[in-house]
Amino acid sequence: MRTSDRIIKAFLQLSTVLSVLITVLIVLSVFSETMRFFSHVSPLNFFFGTEWSPQTAIRADQAGSSGSFGAVPIFVGTVMIAAIAMAVATPLGLLAAIYLSVYATPRFRNAAKPVLEILAGIPTVVYGYFAVVAFAPLIRSAGDYLGLEVASESALAAGVVMGIMITPFIMSLSEDVISAVPKSLIYGSFAMGATPYETVRHVIIPAAFSGIIGAVLLGISRGIGETMIVVMAAGLSAKLTVNPLEAVTTATVQIVTLLVGDHEFDSPKTLAAFALGFALFIMTFLLNMAAQIIVKRYRQQNA
Amino acid sequence: MLKRTGRQARLVLRRIQKNKNPFVFSYGVTPAQKWIAGRKRREKQFKFFGFISIALSALFLGSLILNILGNGYSAFTRVQLYIPIEFSKEILDPEGTNDPAVLSKADYRKLVRNGLLYLFPADMPRAQKFELYALVSKAGYYQLCEMVINDPSLVGRRGELWLPAASNVDMFIKRHSLKSEIGISHYKVSTRQFSMLKELIDKERLRKVFNRQFFTGGDSQEPEQAGILGSFIGSLFTIFVCIAVAFPLGVATALYLEEFAKENWLTDLIEININNLAAVPSIIYGLLGLSIYINILGMPRSSTLVGGLVLALLVMPVIVIATRNALRAVPHSVRYAALAMGANPVQVAMHHTFIYALPGIMTGVILSIARALGETSPLLLIGMVAFLTDIPKTITDPATTLPVQVYLWTNNPEFGFVENTAAAIIVLLFVLVVINALAAWVRQRFEIKW
Repeated sequence: MRTSDRIIKAFLQLSTVLSVLITVLIVLSVFSETMRFFSHVSPLNFFFGTEWSPQTAIRADQAGSSGSFGAVPIFVGTVMIAAIAMAVATPLGLLAAIYLSVYATPRFRNAAKPVLEILAGIPTVVYGYFAVVAFAPLIRSAGDYLGLEVASESALAAGVVMGIMITPFIMSLSEDVISAVPKSLIYGSFAMGATPYETVRHVIIPAAFSGIIGAVLLGISRGIGETMIVVMAAGLSAKLTVNPLEAVTTATVQIVTLLVGDHEFDSPKTLAAFALGFALFIMTFLLNMAAQIIVKRYRQQNA
Repeated sequence: MLKRTGRQARLVLRRIQKNKNPFVFSYGVTPAQKWIAGRKRREKQFKFFGFISIALSALFLGSLILNILGNGYSAFTRVQLYIPIEFSKEILDPEGTNDPAVLSKADYRKLVRNGLLYLFPADMPRAQKFELYALVSKAGYYQLCEMVINDPSLVGRRGELWLPAASNVDMFIKRHSLKSEIGISHYKVSTRQFSMLKELIDKERLRKVFNRQFFTGGDSQEPEQAGILGSFIGSLFTIFVCIAVAFPLGVATALYLEEFAKENWLTDLIEININNLAAVPSIIYGLLGLSIYINILGMPRSSTLVGGLVLALLVMPVIVIATRNALRAVPHSVRYAALAMGANPVQVAMHHTFIYALPGIMTGVILSIARALGETSPLLLIGMVAFLTDIPKTITDPATTLPVQVYLWTNNPEFGFVENTAAAIIVLLFVLVVINALAAWVRQRFEIKW
């Protein structure tokens, strides 16, 4: 090989190493800040405490200057909004995928697919704007009509809008999975006189089940990590509640509120954001790994 | 299967087992008929639900777009008032110094107020006068100040000028039918102001013009003066840095993995790692950028340089995956032919496979630009959320980007910012549509079907 070729190859190798390095860097940088946080606040307090008020005192001798960092309300809020989102996205996405691959005429498909692709391409900040300007007031007035007390930054509004955002994602993943179901199974079912619904329920869904679970796991991971919609439409105060009509906060909202603005880098307040980020990273990482393994196994099973 | 299909099916089965015809029954509807009717009903219901779920998504998209267009269309025009202005020497520069420092501190409000009083009977009560003054935006004072500083010879002359209307008047004229007083309080316009405006319209001293300020200005506290150019330039710089870093690195990684790396546990691990990186929440990249670029490397906070580098990490896995797919689509015969002609592996990869995969790679890169352009949350963490009236000139200047500007304006409680926000979203979505159309065009025009 010529020297220039050698250099090119070395560059390619170096880039690959660098791309792996990113993961290592994420883990190391976020992990070291998290460790620094845990030298201020005990992990037991963080993972099991139910009181979250990270304000640091202006004067050092002020009462309650350390703030309290019990993250349970935040985790509950995060899980609740993600659960509402998935309660919207899973049926919508799955039914849409089934309808498109089983019932839809080619003309309808060509009309419907762009709609979902556009939904997938809209930046999340636009969803956040829509949640604030249109959807949250709508939910509020619906609540007033039914005589329910709805917070202006209710978990329901943020969760439903997030669900709509995740729907096209679930749809395209489960459509891939459904199209990978062996045709012989489907034709066999039709040949036995089964209706399309019976084929979907007793043949396609069982055959595609693990793939669908993988899609749902990836959807949950997106919901947990989604930031802009909740920053704009969910609340700031960490309240331990399971009522979707009240305002709850999420890990991503807290990271943003703790880190936006000027701050010194050593206070437990800023380090708490890294601890939350690390927890978020671990959660989404595990979900993604699980989804990948499930989908891989599903492919081998159908190959 | 029959076991799961319910009672009617079991009845039919039992009759078959008893050697009886399930379609003949001594009275009424037979179990078989009931069963078939139930199957048909469930079929219809299921199909209906599938259709409804697609219809709901379409409904949501439709209402989103209608809401944005409905709120945003009016930001592209602005209302101006034609007001006689006398650049009187007594107010601006009583000592005749012609010094810019004196001229910039002069009371331009007074000029506008005098002009307004000239149009209406000057003997109106004091409260009424203030309602009159409130018709013109503060931006009008700045405009006059700028004019005089650029051309001091204006002092002492008089003329008539188009000045911007106040934000609430602007919204009122653009959105109200002006036929009756119903709903004027929504725009914080008083009954007297309403009749004054009607008089101005009758005298043809009120017009709607294209809102140039929105496309040429930076952010501002006044909604009628705020523009998106600052954040748009910020977005351009960020994307430039992002692609300049992520494109070579991502493509090189993909080339190495696809063309050179042996298949073993290490490459498997790298592949899983890259797939995982693509699914890491974007806010984590913001934390990474904050702690490494700003804290350890000491790069300037809020700058497009850091923003671009953070987004580069974010889109690199996307580019790697797209490039690998494009490389995989190139048939092996191309590689064998090049090898047979005596090319070494690097030449095969760089001169042949890479070139054939280029259209696919470009499509992937263009789509990743669209992704980076819409990204907001990591940029919040590295401080690109400051209120900035200046337009960034270099990549180290503090800046915001278009989606961050949308976020900032959404948080602004002032009424006039709603239309600005929606208009900024229209611009953002328009740019994204153009980028996606470009990607589709590249795919159709250049991609090779093997």
